[in-house]
Amino acid sequence: MAAFLRSKCSSVGRTLMGGLGNNLFGAVNSHVEAVTRPSYCDAICQQVRTFIQMRTNLKVVDNSGAKRVMCIQSLRGKKGARLGDTIIGSVKEAQPRGKVKKGDVVYGVVVRAAMKRGRNDGSEIQFDDNAVVLVNNKGELIGTRVFGPVPHELRKKKHLKILALAEHVV
Amino acid sequence: MRLEKCWFCSSTVYPGHGIQFVRNDAKVFRFCRSKCHKNFKMKRNPRKVKWTKAYRSLHGKDMTQDSTFEFERKRNRPERYDRNVTEQTLKAIPLITKIRHERQKKHITNRLADVL
Repeated sequence: MAAFLRSKCSSVGRTLMGGLGNNLFGAVNSHVEAVTRPSYCDAICQQVRTFIQMRTNLKVVDNSGAKRVMCIQSLRGKKGARLGDTIIGSVKEAQPRGKVKKGDVVYGVVVRAAMKRGRNDGSEIQFDDNAVVLVNNKGELIGTRVFGPVPHELRKKKHLKILALAEHVV
Repeated sequence: MRLEKCWFCSSTVYPGHGIQFVRNDAKVFRFCRSKCHKNFKMKRNPRKVKWTKAYRSLHGKDMTQDSTFEFERKRNRPERYDRNVTEQTLKAIPLITKIRHERQKKHITNRLADVL
């Protein structure tokens, strides 16, 4: 099994494999972070990020009271939502005193997506996580603050309020 | 249009190339190609990876201090368009690049001459 894995990730993650090889033989730990299974770490580093679809958990980055939202429908695209699209979600985790409660069905605008989004100048941008800002069905924000960086793809989608409240526009 | 530097290898990223990764603390990492991007995802430190400019500058392999680098300093002030200035800048750019390359070559030959 070790040989198969070694050949699989030969060009990538060589240091990790080396570290794991040492671990298998019970030798000294390498300087690499503690890694238990090579396939997990390899997957984390080279994860192919896809659309935001049903059952996707998203972080909520405004002060509307919700913390996590699970997507139940993407309002655009057959395959799912991308950066700047709107989704319908169900609030899975909420702060005790907020404008939304657990179990509410809310609309949200995706402000950060781990999937690459192409820009007009040919470059591609990707974020660290999937994050959403809660909105009502008319498109008005429920919260009053937005945390973290937001892309200016939102300008084209006419979510100017989000851009105005954002800490950092990328 | 701005020519950025790759975070990992310090080469220029031309328009239409590369990926920008934005971390949640709003720090933007630009990569010139997937090689650099994958190395970043592997959490490799560019100062320890031999083929990057960061390693080479740190270990004195490449020239670091020179007046030709001053021309490439990032200026955030937009310049008022002046045709003459633009013309002269465009003429000067290849000359400065040539001088910089000459000096870099000299630095390397001097370093190798000292070794031998």
